Amino acid sequence: METQPKAKVLIVDDEKGLRLGTKRLLESEGFEVDAAQNGAEGIAFGTSLDYDLAIIDLKMPDINGLEVLKQIHQNHPNTVCFIATAFPSFETATEATKLGAFNYIPKPFTPEELLSNLKQGYDRRILLQEAEKWKKEREESLLEVAFEKTRLNTIINSITDGILVINKYGQAVLFNPSALIFLQLPDIAIEEYIIDKLHPEIAELINKILTNKIFEKKSYSKQIELKSNRELFIEATSSPVPHPDGSLAGVVVVFKNITESKKLEHLKSQFVSMVSHELKAPIAAVYGYLKLLSDPAYNLPNDQKINYINRSQIRLDGLLKMVNDLLDISRMEMKVIQREIKDLNLAEAVTSVIELLQVEIKKKNITLEFQVIDQSNSIKADSDEILRLFTNLISNAIKYNKVGGRIDIKIQNADKYILTTIVDTGIGMKPEEKQKLFHEFFRAKNEHTKNISGTGLGLSIVKRIVDSYAGRIEVESEFEKGTSFKVYLPI
Amino acid sequence: MAKIAIIDDDPDILDASSLVLTAKGYEVVTASNPDDGYKIVKENSPELIILDVMMNEPDDGFFLAQKFRKEKIKTPIIMYTSISKTTGMDFGKSDLVPVDEYVEKPISPDDLIEKVEKLLKREKEGKK
Repeated sequence: METQPKAKVLIVDDEKGLRLGTKRLLESEGFEVDAAQNGAEGIAFGTSLDYDLAIIDLKMPDINGLEVLKQIHQNHPNTVCFIATAFPSFETATEATKLGAFNYIPKPFTPEELLSNLKQGYDRRILLQEAEKWKKEREESLLEVAFEKTRLNTIINSITDGILVINKYGQAVLFNPSALIFLQLPDIAIEEYIIDKLHPEIAELINKILTNKIFEKKSYSKQIELKSNRELFIEATSSPVPHPDGSLAGVVVVFKNITESKKLEHLKSQFVSMVSHELKAPIAAVYGYLKLLSDPAYNLPNDQKINYINRSQIRLDGLLKMVNDLLDISRMEMKVIQREIKDLNLAEAVTSVIELLQVEIKKKNITLEFQVIDQSNSIKADSDEILRLFTNLISNAIKYNKVGGRIDIKIQNADKYILTTIVDTGIGMKPEEKQKLFHEFFRAKNEHTKNISGTGLGLSIVKRIVDSYAGRIEVESEFEKGTSFKVYLPI
Repeated sequence: MAKIAIIDDDPDILDASSLVLTAKGYEVVTASNPDDGYKIVKENSPELIILDVMMNEPDDGFFLAQKFRKEKIKTPIIMYTSISKTTGMDFGKSDLVPVDEYVEKPISPDDLIEKVEKLLKREKEGKK
């Protein structure tokens, strides 16, 4: 018999001659053979090793062969066992078969009888092993499917968007924890009728698909304000889920938190209305003057006409400046500003700004002192932006100063920054005005400021420039005493 | 002729509106912020108030109008607005916004005079 690899056989027999004779016969046929001389030894061998085949003598002085068979099968159900006996009976044969013996070999047997039995037994063994292998593989793949399922569940539960799946009867079949938050429900029972528990607008999204009956690949979305004042805004999207046969199985609803983008949208529309208002104010003023100038009914004296024309001019200049500032801000927002980053000496930049503003400084009879404490004050920056930054700050210090006031400018090193301090003796700010200082279009409005023109964008631009260089700006102010700005720009 | 109070933080609007109304023979008092506006109305008891909706804050004009009404000052109010159309903020007459008429900036003198005369006439007839 060709066996590759060698089939392992256990012989359990108390009769020495037969035991050794069989062993020799089988070894010569290419089997690997162990022999046990009694039941106890047979059990010890048969339970410790998974033999392919076992030939067990029925009647042994210590333990009955059937007991040995039972013990071996408990540990190794695939070991194919034969019961050999000189006293075959119908009862023992039945019992042996019941215990899983493959066959019953009456003693004495010829080598041919034995070998033919063993050959059949070995075929059986191979079948059993293959079945075992299949079973194992099947179990493993089942395990994998189960694993896939839990993994999918874990993924669905981890999604921050809410997911709710409803069957065509309106019952909940799947949901994740986020869905509970967006649906504002403490829990959902699987297979409970859910539609009447949902926000009416969400229910409507689902019903749009369910009432359709047939499957149509079409989704519905709606933005829903769950908590007023833009506290919780969601976008719910319902999509049909098809059956394998193409009919409608149910609806999947995805809930997305869009609160932040709604807030941004609101800020944007607020900004647009602020811009419209600010642009309209000078237009309204000039429009009014033009109406008066062009209507002969008012019969204005000449000096008043000239006054109105001059003031219209001033308002239009302001309007133009505001439009330019707005364009700058929008360019900064879109980050399309063309920058030329070079080594820039801050003291030189500030000096050139001061020179540019000489006329205004003289007009108000302001004393300006400029101190450069540390000589090494180069930064890497775009010179246009830095000039813009200091022009805005210093011209504010002039504009909001009193006649005959002072401006003190100081440049010094401060750790990894160059600090520029601009102190004025102007009208200062109230604490509540200081808070809004860098907001677009904010201008402190009081008796001191009513005749000072400005776009309300200057400091907002200053802040944007400073931020874009990863610097920072600090402001201290005392109402009617003066204001000081500290600009930190990184070296 | 009637006395009219104009409250607006834009000096050019104050000037132009004053001129239009004084040319028609009205007596005009002006203020450029809500506090002064409140003062001139208390002191002068005008027969009509023209009020800008947006001064320091977007709703300063509304608050001042509400304050007048709370204090039983029933003087008719015309409100200057500038962005009602662009933002879709169209206000109707209600307790919340207790004003009688709106004038959208920029203001046409004829339009202003027409609304002023209409309101003053209505007041007069109401009192008869």
